[in-house]
Amino acid sequence: MISSFKHTRSRALGVCVALLAVSSARGDSDEPGEARPVAAAAAAVGGTADALGLPFVYTEWERFSTKDGLPNDHVFAVKVDGDRVWIGTEGGLACLNKKTRRIQSWTEEDGLPWRVVSAIDVHPGTGEVWIGMFGGGLARFSGGRFDHWHQLNSGVVNDVIYGVAVEHDNIWAATTAGASRYNTVTGEWSIFTEKNAPMEEIWNYGCCYADGLVYLGIWGSGVLEYDIERGTWKDYLDPDGEMEIDLYRDDGVVHVITTGVSYVEKILWVTTYFGACRYDGRHWRGYFAHECGLPSDFNNAVKGRSAYEAWFCTDKGLGVVADFESDTWVTYTCDQINHRGKAVIQRGTEVLAEVDTGMSLPHNYVLWAEFDGDDAWLGTSKGLGHAIGRGYYPRLRATNHIDREKPSSGEGSHGS
Amino acid sequence: MRLGVLVVCVGVVASLASASDPGVHDRHPIYVGVRACAKCHAGKAAGHQVGLWRASAHSGAYACLWSPQSKKIAELSGIPEEPQESAMCLGCHATGSRVEAWEKEDEFLLEDGVQCETCHGPGSEYANNEVMMDREKAMMAGLRMPRPRDCMMCHNVKGSHVAVLSAPQLDVAMGMKKIAHPTPNDGAAATARPENKPASGTRGYVGVMKCAGCHKGPMMGYQFSKWRDSGHAAAYAVLGTPAGYQAAEKAGARGVPQELQECLVCHATGVRKGAAPALPGFDLLDGVQCEACHGPGSDYAVEAVMRDPPAARQAGLLPVTAQTCAPCHGSDDGSSFDYTAKMKKISHPLRAETLKEGTQAQRYKTPLNLALSPDGTELYVACEASDSVVVVDVASRRAVAEITTGGQPTGVAFSPDGTRAFVTNRLDDTMVVVDTQSRTVLKTVEVGDEPHGVLMDQAGRVVYVLNTSADSISVIDGDTGTEKKRLTGSRGPWAAALSPDGERIACTNTLSRFVEFREPSLSEVTIINTRREAVEQRITVPGANLMQGIAWHPSGEFALITLNRTKNLVPMTRLLQGWTITNGMGVIWRDGRVNQVLLDEPHLCFPDAAGVAISPDGKLAFVTSSGSDRVAVIDVDKLITMLRGASQYELEHVLPNHLGKPTEFILKHIETRNSPRGVLFSKDGRLAFVANALDDSITVIDVPRLEAAGRIDLGGPETITKVRWGELLFHSADVTFHRQFSCHSCHPDGHIDGLTYDIEPDGIGSSPVDNRTLRGILDTAPFKWEGTNPSLQRQCGPRLAVFFTRIDPFTPEELAALDNYICTIPRPPNRYRPVGGKLTPAQRRGKAVFERTVGNDGKVIPEENRCATCHFAPLFTDRTVRDVGTKMMMDREAEFDVPHLNNIYDSAPYLHNGTAETLEEIWTRFNPYDEHGVTNDMTKDQLNDLMEYLKTL
Repeated sequence: MISSFKHTRSRALGVCVALLAVSSARGDSDEPGEARPVAAAAAAVGGTADALGLPFVYTEWERFSTKDGLPNDHVFAVKVDGDRVWIGTEGGLACLNKKTRRIQSWTEEDGLPWRVVSAIDVHPGTGEVWIGMFGGGLARFSGGRFDHWHQLNSGVVNDVIYGVAVEHDNIWAATTAGASRYNTVTGEWSIFTEKNAPMEEIWNYGCCYADGLVYLGIWGSGVLEYDIERGTWKDYLDPDGEMEIDLYRDDGVVHVITTGVSYVEKILWVTTYFGACRYDGRHWRGYFAHECGLPSDFNNAVKGRSAYEAWFCTDKGLGVVADFESDTWVTYTCDQINHRGKAVIQRGTEVLAEVDTGMSLPHNYVLWAEFDGDDAWLGTSKGLGHAIGRGYYPRLRATNHIDREKPSSGEGSHGS
Repeated sequence: MRLGVLVVCVGVVASLASASDPGVHDRHPIYVGVRACAKCHAGKAAGHQVGLWRASAHSGAYACLWSPQSKKIAELSGIPEEPQESAMCLGCHATGSRVEAWEKEDEFLLEDGVQCETCHGPGSEYANNEVMMDREKAMMAGLRMPRPRDCMMCHNVKGSHVAVLSAPQLDVAMGMKKIAHPTPNDGAAATARPENKPASGTRGYVGVMKCAGCHKGPMMGYQFSKWRDSGHAAAYAVLGTPAGYQAAEKAGARGVPQELQECLVCHATGVRKGAAPALPGFDLLDGVQCEACHGPGSDYAVEAVMRDPPAARQAGLLPVTAQTCAPCHGSDDGSSFDYTAKMKKISHPLRAETLKEGTQAQRYKTPLNLALSPDGTELYVACEASDSVVVVDVASRRAVAEITTGGQPTGVAFSPDGTRAFVTNRLDDTMVVVDTQSRTVLKTVEVGDEPHGVLMDQAGRVVYVLNTSADSISVIDGDTGTEKKRLTGSRGPWAAALSPDGERIACTNTLSRFVEFREPSLSEVTIINTRREAVEQRITVPGANLMQGIAWHPSGEFALITLNRTKNLVPMTRLLQGWTITNGMGVIWRDGRVNQVLLDEPHLCFPDAAGVAISPDGKLAFVTSSGSDRVAVIDVDKLITMLRGASQYELEHVLPNHLGKPTEFILKHIETRNSPRGVLFSKDGRLAFVANALDDSITVIDVPRLEAAGRIDLGGPETITKVRWGELLFHSADVTFHRQFSCHSCHPDGHIDGLTYDIEPDGIGSSPVDNRTLRGILDTAPFKWEGTNPSLQRQCGPRLAVFFTRIDPFTPEELAALDNYICTIPRPPNRYRPVGGKLTPAQRRGKAVFERTVGNDGKVIPEENRCATCHFAPLFTDRTVRDVGTKMMMDREAEFDVPHLNNIYDSAPYLHNGTAETLEEIWTRFNPYDEHGVTNDMTKDQLNDLMEYLKTL
């Protein structure tokens, strides 16, 4: 099914702290019929902020829901492939064409092998879309054709798939009964469980590949690292072994109930249901909601953007560590009553600014994050969010002045 | 307890620590080899057991594979390799040929043929004295006592062997009696054979196996095998036979011949008084060895010395003359010794005798496809049978060069600048890059399984190769020859065509996608975006299969493809209604729409539409019919006008099946030579060229006159062999009603069409059967899924006549030729395990699952329900019918033929009715009660491992 959607987005309410000058200078912020972005700070900014600078804050947002053509508002996975944004929902697969602004969707009636699309990755060479389905196994979507692998017709270890990652010609699938690897050239299936990997539990949640390493986030077994060249495993567990508290901070993964992994620029970002963490190959750094901008310790997923920036998808909003070194965060939440968004900039526990962003996340229950150049896409339990990164800059930027305009009421109401 | 063998079998126990693959062998018995057995089982006290074996055909089973008869058998069995290198041949002609190196003791020699352990099982665990002396213990440790049925694993009658050797069905009882080698129970003690005690620094005997290290195989004229096939090799062994005893007695010798000096001097090597010592590796068992004539070899056996004749002579290599033979053969049982005749008999010249060299004179060309150089001056013709591309000069219409490219060239294409040509080798899984200036192969690139179509993009950057057996498309960097990526095709990517704007490549796929049981075919044209080098669209063609030829119209608006429309869901008796297999063409529009039309006419079908080309002006399309030796000339404007004027209903339901419509757009049929396949137009469109696969020629067509204007001979042999005749019959539709189809229509190139047929006239949908490959089927009788046809002749003759040929069946001579050809359809080498290659860890684990005798629950799996009981090497079928619980409601029978498993990976779907799309489904869906092996106890990883092993068979 192909749907067109009414363009609904908000740009004017947020605060482009420190970006104002850049945005204006580029002259690309004005579009006919749209309000000029307004930068505003809603809270005082301390001296530290001025010295170190402030992070970019997303103030332009779009939302997409079933009204726009999504098959379902529960968005579990998002993957960008050029002009296409692939969206996995509880009710099917969708693809948003950024050029045509149209959403095409596929349900079981259209050949999608299973309704619930829980994971997506795209083979960078072939453009084939690999789809993990919650209860339906693995599928490949190529040229309009779905190919289906499940427990009965293939070697996939289990049909409940949480994560999918493309590694060269291999497809990794994190399943509820171990990890599966499918070699698309030889057709060989490999299974990794407690029998052949240091997997104390086999409930694999997250899965990612980069730089010769596959990472598996495992519910109850921390993180496993698989070295492709050597064919060796390495496990990362919570050394203190405590399930209730993180007894010794920064000693390892904060908790073994791991939900997400993301490896970028040699940095491993990890989420658990009890906090999140970062690992640089030598040092761990744990994050908990009470001491940083993480909205909640209940993390669904993480996506690292760089060695310094990662987006944490939690049940209470989106936490972005914008600059690891200075521990500067931007926390995005959405008022579930009036649907206005808020971004809180904080360094450690110190709140530097609080910004009314107008439209923001579709919902605070965030399930997935995906980067798209300067933009980002968020899967939530109430649709897809699009954070438009016009003028995005990484880490921090020094601020000589902060525009303190208040947001104009009436603009930036939530999308359809 | 037997008392006959009391000596300790020193050194017999396998030294597991020496195995070369650590960590995998601790639970496995390994093969120790007959020479280890011989340490106890030789000599009188052991009943000369090893000697009896050595004098038997079992011992020479490997060696005999060098013979011309063996090569003929291999040829008849579709085995393209040397018999001594073929897993199929070695499966019965050598012990342990399928096991990995670590599963064999260092002393084990494949060259010893069928050894003790073929029948008695690998011996490492039972070969030590303590175990061996206790039969029960030995059996527990793996000792097997063969039963008649075990003999039949190899001795079941094989058509190929019958055809060449006229060998009758083995009388097992007689055979067992013939090879009987009982252990004497008189209580006499066996004596351990003396160990070699070399004298350091002294010239000594190295033994024939040292010589065999170099002097074996086709490049060395099979010298070792020829010796092993001679009486010399068994000279020592025969002393232990009753005949040996009789001869000794007749000669006045008293005692055990194998221990008598007067016997040994002529029946063994290096036993004369004063002879040089035997060095490690030397074995008396080998009788009259190389060194008996050529002198002890320790000093000249070094390769560098051996290659320098004066040096070799200096080092002791003796010339062989009549005097060499005289001491033993001088009085040769009283008759005169004809030195010349005897030397001829044991002749073993150092001369290469490769399989192909032996048959080079009779090698046909079989041109399949052709390409025109961008300047229009030369045709490159891919010739499947001669492993070459023949270069044809267009102006003179003559073959001017031939370039050897590799096994079974199928596709050929030029680079846009014409400096390079690309040729796919289907047998070798390679694509070669040919320098068109020097006409030499520049580079060989490994691609996927069975590459077929090939083309280069308009920019000359990327080569696309269609891997028809791997269902993939290799994207290859045109400069470096490296494979950039592999795209997913449909089933059987076949041919490719570049759109005029260079933006898209359309690929036909010869097999239908998998469809639900009893649903019609759904085939695919795969569209590749050349800018992204990725698949952008998959256009489905309902009801069609065997989509092969493809050509873009110059306008770029559409492409034409060839196709079959096989009515496989209705009984084949519909044949007489002229509607079983219809042959046609598809129009693939740029926007993804598809129209289909037939090329058959009511009384004149157009079987096996294979190739298509469109004239440069876009007005004409030529389509080849390989089954009726014609080219259909299509008026493209009329075709398109007809389609544009048709309603949607007509497009979907009428035109694809209408036998009357082709007359509206087919202008003419032009006769060609045998089995036309590829076709193309000259640059100016005034000529067209057709590759006649089974005539080794090109037909030149004068396009303005629409007439054949000449034949270009590609240089194949003029004689038609019986096999070639059979090939012609196989590809001709002349024998079927209205010439609807040929054997090739359902078994394209001897393989599968991926369909399930309703053949019998027993009601619609009754007893549907999956179409099976013909590759390597000769020795797998009986045939048909119900196993009712005992021979190919029965299958292709009376059986076929019932439904297909009906009025005018094959004559007995034709039938013999046809069967001869079918037997020789080559089976490609296994892609998952080269002969003698190591197994991957998963394959190795899978092998253990395949061979397991105990389930995961610890219960013994009944023998009749083990994989290896019905599917044993080398064919992996016991050639019976069995009920494995797969009978479905519409099936007449419950018992089905046990299929062979060789290259099982390339002939999906599976089971008698093709209901299992994958190997996994055979057990996950269709074995709920463990009737097809005990599999429901398996873990998922065990099943995966089993799949990996099955693919190696």
